[in-house]
This record gives sequence, C-alpha cells and structure tokens, in this order.
Amino acid sequence: MLLDIAIDAKDHPGGAGRARRVLQGLRLSLEKHQAGAVLGPSGCGKTTLLRIVAGLDHDYAGHVATPAGGRLAMVFQEPRLLPWRSVQDNIRIAAPLASVTEIDALLADLGLGGHADQFPSRLSLGLARRAALARALAIKPDLLLLDEPFVSLDAALALALRERVARLIDETGVTTLLVTHDLSEAIGIADRIFVLSKPPARVVATLDVATPRRLMTDAARQELTERAQAALAAE
Amino acid sequence: MIRLASFASILLLWFALAQVFDPRHLPDPLSVMELAFSEADSGALFEHLGATLARVAAAFTLAMGLGSALGYLMGRNRLANDILDPWLVVLLNLPALVVIVLAYLWAGLNEAAAVGAVALNKLPGAMVFAREGARAQDPSYDEMARVFRFSRQARLRHVVLPQLAPYLAASARAGLSLVWKIVLVVELLGRPNGVGFKINLAFQLFDLRLLLAYALPFVAIMLAVELLLAQPFESYVSRWRLDAARHRH
Repeated sequence: MLLDIAIDAKDHPGGAGRARRVLQGLRLSLEKHQAGAVLGPSGCGKTTLLRIVAGLDHDYAGHVATPAGGRLAMVFQEPRLLPWRSVQDNIRIAAPLASVTEIDALLADLGLGGHADQFPSRLSLGLARRAALARALAIKPDLLLLDEPFVSLDAALALALRERVARLIDETGVTTLLVTHDLSEAIGIADRIFVLSKPPARVVATLDVATPRRLMTDAARQELTERAQAALAAE
Repeated sequence: MIRLASFASILLLWFALAQVFDPRHLPDPLSVMELAFSEADSGALFEHLGATLARVAAAFTLAMGLGSALGYLMGRNRLANDILDPWLVVLLNLPALVVIVLAYLWAGLNEAAAVGAVALNKLPGAMVFAREGARAQDPSYDEMARVFRFSRQARLRHVVLPQLAPYLAASARAGLSLVWKIVLVVELLGRPNGVGFKINLAFQLFDLRLLLAYALPFVAIMLAVELLLAQPFESYVSRWRLDAARHRH
C-alpha cells in the first residue's frame, strides 16, 4: 500500500461554534503505480483532502500514511510557478537532481520547448499548467497529486492535455491521486475512482476502471458512467 | 535630454546670479570649481570625501542589515512584532538631532557614536520596509515550496528574497538619501574630518566658496551612486514585473 488515508474528522474553521465539518470517516487507499481519482461535487472538500495528503494541513483527526521519505509532487489549481524565474528555472529549482537532458525532454514532451526561457506571466493558463506538470514530474515523485488540473481550460485544450497526462502517467507509472468534479476526466486518467458524498464527505462508492484504457468499450464506459452517477445521486 | 537641459539651466542661473551678487554671498561656479580642483590637488578633498563616504557606507550597511532582519522577523512573527513595535514607533518619532547629541554625550565624540547615531536614524525606516515586504509574501508560493521540499537555502533564495527584493531596493534608496544627509550633521557636530566638518569650518569663516567646493562634489558622488547603483538594482530585481507589464500591452 502506497497511500492510505483514514480521516475520522476534518473541520473547516468558522467563527465561534460555526465550524463546519468537511470530511468525516473518509477512507481510501492506493497501491503503487495506481492512479486514483477523487470525484465529487464542487465544495465537497476535495482540495482539503489533497492538502492533507500534501502535508499542508495537519488540523484533522485521523491518519494519513504516505510513502516514508518519498517524494511528493503537486499540481495546484493555480499553477504556482515562481513568476520571477523562467519556466526552465522553475523546474530546475524544484528538481535540483534532474539533469538538463531530462528537463529538456520533459519540456519537449509537454510542448513547452519554445517557452523554456520565458517568465511564467507570458504563458497562457494551459501552458502554465503544463509547466507546473513538468515541474511535478521532474522530481520523479513517488506520489503525484493533481488538483483539478484541467479546470477553466477550453474543452478541446482540456481534452488534449488530459490525454497527454494520462499517457505520461501510464509511461512513468507514477502513483497518482487526482481530484476532479468531472467524471469523464476521472475515467480518462484513473484506474480507480472514489466517489465522494456531499459534506461531510466520505467515500460512497469505489469504481474500478478497466485498463488498458484505450481498449475500453463504449458500453463499459457507459456502464461506469451510470454507476458513478447513481452513486452521486444516491446522496 | 530634457533632464540635461534642466540641469544646465540651473548652472546658467547660478552663473547669472553670481554676476549680480557679492561673491562673498554667491561665488560664481568657475571660482568654486577652481577651489575644488586645488583642494583635490592637495589631497584634502579626497581625504574628507573618503572619511564621509566610509561613514555613509558603515552606517548604511549596519542599518540595512539589522533593520531588514528585524523588520522581516516582525512581519513574520506576531510576538516579535508586539515586542518591537513600540520601539519602532519611538525611533520613528525621535528627531535625528536628539539621537546624535545623545549618542555623543553617552558614548563620547568618537567614530562608533557617529556611525551608530546615523544608523539608528535609518534603522526604523529599514524595519518598516522589510516588515511590509514580509507581510506581502504570497503564502501560495510558500506552500508550493513546502510540498516540493525546497531546502531552507532554496526557499530563501528563490521564494523569499525575490518577493522581498523590491521592498529592500526601495528601502536602500530611501535609506541612502537619508544617511548621507545625516552623516554631514554628525560630522559637523563632532568629527575632526569629513565633508560635514569642512562645512562647519566654512560656516564659521563665512566662506561660501569652501562650502560649495566640498558640498557639490559630495552631492555629485551620491547622485552617481543613486543613478548607477541604486536605480539599476531596483529595476533589475523587478525585471520580471516589467516583462509581465510589457506583455500585457
């Protein structure tokens, strides 16, 4: 088991007596090389969950086991590239052990070859997301966390990037936890989908996606979609 | 070009006025230059300029180093801010002259008192700039650095300092213009050398030529520092902002 999450309770601090419970009795785990997607409606605490896994939020009851001494990488919803460093330097700073060849290959692979020396403010959101993804992959993470990586991109761009990310995850075998509100995104990337309830959120259904993905039949995809929608609607 | 013309017009005005007034009240530019050159020839000009610049450098470095460190701490740490803020308010409102005279009375007419008094005048300003810079740090980059396990050194160099740099650059420019003015007062009141000392001498002799022959080269040097070091440094550390602004247009 590479990632094991058991959160008994996580409250969102409000005013006195107005704290809101965000997560309750949430359990999920991932094996090495697995790609999991956490699927749920907006505002159900998905980002909170990711922040707990990333070690940015310690204020919860429960237990989260991440790979001991392992490397963690995260692609935030906003790319969070350092605006005062070039794209290339952003990657180099985060991944001091990656060689120049490796970084160049990653940049080329993500279609950023011509943007290596630019400051992030020059990039469109789509390009900036790719740069953030390149930074995350450059550290060769044991666990990759993706927070709605395709949100607010136009549909064609989102689809193209999603296919590229799915391919990179398959090729590198990196264990991945994706958070999304979009079912087709979850199916497009994950081997296993965890459907969350409304807050306080817990896992109400775990669906396995038949792999390899490209061999998935339309009927299988349709069935998966219906089961996920049923789980979401049951709430 | 306009700046140059404006500067030349000051010189011309001076020249014209000098023809009207008694040279004892307003010597003409050429005679001032002549005296400055002869003082330079004898080495006296450089000796006094050197002494003053050394004090400026020492007081500036001390105040910027200590003030920026304390100010950053205050911006990041609530307790430090609560402890140091009353001190900051007192220092900000203490007249420069009071600090200087107190320093001389307590520590004697020595170099440490002189440099210390000047530094103490710049200290609160440096603290305010650094505190603002620390408070303006974007926590989202800090979180990114934590997730990616940046080393302490990498965090300081690539996350903290670039955000702090524009504040430090502004602090340095404001500080330099304050420090070099106060250094002259400190010298006038209690040092046996430096531009301030020569100005005191000129004051007592009612010698405007001597006063200007020392004051103007010093002003020229500080202007050069401002134009050739401080301003380029400021635009260097904000170049990524400029790049972003240019791109938007």
